[in-house]
Amino acid sequence: MSNERAHRWLLCSPCMSLVIALWLFVGVPYLQSEQPKAREFEVKAAYLYNFARFVEWPDDGNGNRDGNGSLEICVLGADPFGQTLDATVAGQTVGGKNVAVKRISKPQDVGPCRIVYISSPEEWHLKDVLAALDKARVLTVSDIPRFSERGGMIGFVLDGNRVRFDVNLASAQGAGLTLRSELLKVATNVRKHPGDM
Amino acid sequence: MRQVKYRSIVEKLTRMSMLVSGIALLVACVSFIGFDMVTYRANKVRSISTEAQIIGSNAVSALLFNDPQSAEDTLSALRAAPSVVSAGICTLDGRVFASYSRDHVLITAPALPPEGEAEVHSISGAQIALARSIVFKGKPTGVVWIRSDVQELNRRLKRYVGIAAIVMVASLLAAFFLSSMYRKEITEPIVSLAQVARLVSRDKNYSLRAASAGSTAETSILVDSFNNMLAQIQERDKELLQAHGELEQRVRDRTAELAAANKELEAFSYSVSHDLRAPLRSIDGFSLALIEDYGTKLDQGGKDYLRRVRAASQRMSQLIDDMLNLARVTRRAMQRETVDLSGLAKSIAEDLSEEEPSRHVEFAIADGLSADADSGLLKIAMQNLIGNAWKYTSAHDRARIEFGRVKHNGRPAYFVRDDGAGFDPRYVERLFGAFQRLHAATEFPGTGIGLATVHRIIHRHGGEVWAEGGVESGATFYFTL
Repeated sequence: MSNERAHRWLLCSPCMSLVIALWLFVGVPYLQSEQPKAREFEVKAAYLYNFARFVEWPDDGNGNRDGNGSLEICVLGADPFGQTLDATVAGQTVGGKNVAVKRISKPQDVGPCRIVYISSPEEWHLKDVLAALDKARVLTVSDIPRFSERGGMIGFVLDGNRVRFDVNLASAQGAGLTLRSELLKVATNVRKHPGDM
Repeated sequence: MRQVKYRSIVEKLTRMSMLVSGIALLVACVSFIGFDMVTYRANKVRSISTEAQIIGSNAVSALLFNDPQSAEDTLSALRAAPSVVSAGICTLDGRVFASYSRDHVLITAPALPPEGEAEVHSISGAQIALARSIVFKGKPTGVVWIRSDVQELNRRLKRYVGIAAIVMVASLLAAFFLSSMYRKEITEPIVSLAQVARLVSRDKNYSLRAASAGSTAETSILVDSFNNMLAQIQERDKELLQAHGELEQRVRDRTAELAAANKELEAFSYSVSHDLRAPLRSIDGFSLALIEDYGTKLDQGGKDYLRRVRAASQRMSQLIDDMLNLARVTRRAMQRETVDLSGLAKSIAEDLSEEEPSRHVEFAIADGLSADADSGLLKIAMQNLIGNAWKYTSAHDRARIEFGRVKHNGRPAYFVRDDGAGFDPRYVERLFGAFQRLHAATEFPGTGIGLATVHRIIHRHGGEVWAEGGVESGATFYFTL
């Protein structure tokens, strides 16, 4: 009740018009161009980190897959995140391991990476990239359209302003990864079998 | 009357047993219900906490991947718990991420747990609000909250109160019937005993007996003892009545005998006194005739003898008069009126002074004394007392006679005091007896009837008379009326 009254007061107050004007001139263009893009990648950076918490990687035998004891998220190709991803994972841990960001230019450099984000410009040779990563047992994530249909594991999709993702469970399972059901629950679309469309 | 008494004791017993069982039951029910309510509430909080925990862990991915729909799907599982009014998930910054409402009403998030605490709950009115932090892999991810109404608690409470009421009524009825079963055994003997006791004390009829009591030891002892007591009282009463009757008969007989004897004696003394006058008058008359007619033939000795005969006969005449007076005092009917004692004393003193003007006697008579008495009798008594004082001071050249009033044992006592010959206090008992004299007739003339007359008059007034004095130190006569 008192809240409503406060709102009404704000709307009626003469200074409100000034606030609205300022917002229209400055805020709206900012929101429409720069801000959504930056926020989108902030969200995607957080998702990349969160994926790490819902995926289990197979043990590769020597028990020391992560080189310097940290879980690495790799960005393949042109980095759309800037410092956002580094800022997001800074100080975070997954399963007792620090999360680190590594930028690589070709799939062969994947090394101890757990998650590989394939940036959009790499779409032209996506098939090769995926083939190269096939045996690396990494979670492949990308913005590339229909990524999951094309053999990738998790593809970001935009649902209005919201960032969501498709999952190709068959690919992930093929790489020996286990995706937790909670992750699948919030996915837009889950492909369970290689033939699924 | 009997019905009222009977009912009162039965009512008391019934009320007592019902009260005791009622209170015991009430205390038991209240504590049981209270305990159950507390336990139930704690359990409810625990179960809500568990629900919150499940919802929270199911909503982790939805929170992390910004999927409110999924979170709401998770929350909608709460539809299975009808007591949940609303629930919701908040992000760490306090924004409502997803919510659920049973009745599709406006939802407000309750207070979220403060930092460092996993859970907070508050119970207000009919609602429990619980907020629980969602922790995923050691990291707080959001907050889930559930508002649950406690209508079930109220339903439960109502049910319990209903059961308690039924149990209460049933046990009170049981107590009532049990106590009415005891009525015959306990109350009836007591009531009948009370009834008999009341009759006995009202009618003084000790032949009544209480009905024998039932099996209860105390009541039968009570009834038997009461009956024994009545028997004893009856026996004693009979004896007493008999003794009383005998005594009364004896008193009646004695009184009659005494009255007859008294009457006889009075008649005798009156007739004797009266009949004695005639020969005495002859003796005196013929003695005088002898002196007058044959005086010349008698020598001096003969004349002297005749004078003595006359003096003796005159004295005897005086004696007879006094005795008749005494008898009259006894027989005369009393007529009480206000008598001016001071005036009476003064007139007696004046008469005496006129008779013997040569004597120097000072009278001190208190003014304004009066009494309720028979004026004729009192005059005789006062004449005797003041006359005695006059007589027994005659040996002194100067004398003082006093009349006044003092307080004796809270009652007014009148006195006549003189400073004359007095008397030996050892013989004070004999003063008021008829014909008793402490002085020789030659010393102070008199018949010994005066004080006896005073004594009788004062006694007829219901008063007392007594004397104080010593030899040659005067005498004081007191009397009350």
